[in-house]
Amino acid sequence: MNLSLKYRVLMIVVFAIFIGVFLYYYGTKARQEQAVAEELREYSYIAREYALDAIYKSTEFPVEVELYPSAHTEAILERWKAISDRYPELDYPEAAIEARDWIEVHKSFEDTDLLNGVIRKMYKDATVTSEGLGVSYITLLDYIFYQKYEASNIEDVVIDLGIEPSREEE
Amino acid sequence: MKKRITVIIVTVIALLTIVSYLISERLNAYQDIEEVIEQEFRTLRQYVEDVYAIEFLDDDRALVFYSWDFPAFYNFGVMELEKTWRGWQFVEAISNRMERKRAWLKGTYAEIGDHAILRGPTWASVDKIEIITADGREYIPELGRAEWQMWYLILEDEPFEEATFILYDSDGEVLKEEVLEFDLNWPE
Repeated sequence: MNLSLKYRVLMIVVFAIFIGVFLYYYGTKARQEQAVAEELREYSYIAREYALDAIYKSTEFPVEVELYPSAHTEAILERWKAISDRYPELDYPEAAIEARDWIEVHKSFEDTDLLNGVIRKMYKDATVTSEGLGVSYITLLDYIFYQKYEASNIEDVVIDLGIEPSREEE
Repeated sequence: MKKRITVIIVTVIALLTIVSYLISERLNAYQDIEEVIEQEFRTLRQYVEDVYAIEFLDDDRALVFYSWDFPAFYNFGVMELEKTWRGWQFVEAISNRMERKRAWLKGTYAEIGDHAILRGPTWASVDKIEIITADGREYIPELGRAEWQMWYLILEDEPFEEATFILYDSDGEVLKEEVLEFDLNWPE
């Protein structure tokens, strides 16, 4: 076949445009998918930590996520509020909780220095020693989120501070 | 000459279309639903999931009963899948946190698609459950087994707010009788 130069150039241009559109489309799609995956990972983490009931809806991307508080969520919030009432530096974001903006809610736990300060104060006020127990902000998070007493004596602290009823009363 | 090229191009395009259609049909027909389910959970980032049962409502609709985030927590859920021209697709998934410890039985009501579903965890020694509603209706829910045991009921008639659950062991002995309440307005 003996195509004229004009046609050859035209063909190459059309071909190049085709490939360009193709690459652009897949690049955007891949970025979008990555963003969606990132978001879903965050939702799944929040749903787990705050013991939330979850509804995921999708016929097309992106997936729609609705999170609702469960009975366990209320218990977490109660423990959090009790500590925040006594140590107001630990923020209890009532408005965000009311609005069920859980990702915003979780920002209150971003500052680990502040959390370390709170737990240190709690031990000091309760005159309970934390020596050799490796108490840190993790102890505080474990207590608020999982009511986990192990590996520390945080139970003595919260009972002493009147945040939890003493064991005899139960 | 020109005519011949046109004919060839049209034929090639037509053949390619038919062949790709046939391939996609075959792929869909042999698509393993369990693989699809696994893939969907990966997409949703609901890790460490357990599938207790798959119920086919008809040829192109299925409900999957599952729990996720085992063993740390217990989120018991139901997922709806639909078969489209692209194969099985995720439509909706509803999961509720239910604590399995210190309870013989837990249960939650949810609507998924146009179905009302009751579901929750129960003890491994439970072999059969009988549900009796206040207005005298009786149901035998299905039991699905994986890491734990999960009971579920796909309701065909009116949902109920309260019912007595009688739990039997494999010898037919009554293990426990419990009354469960359901919030029919959940989530709002």
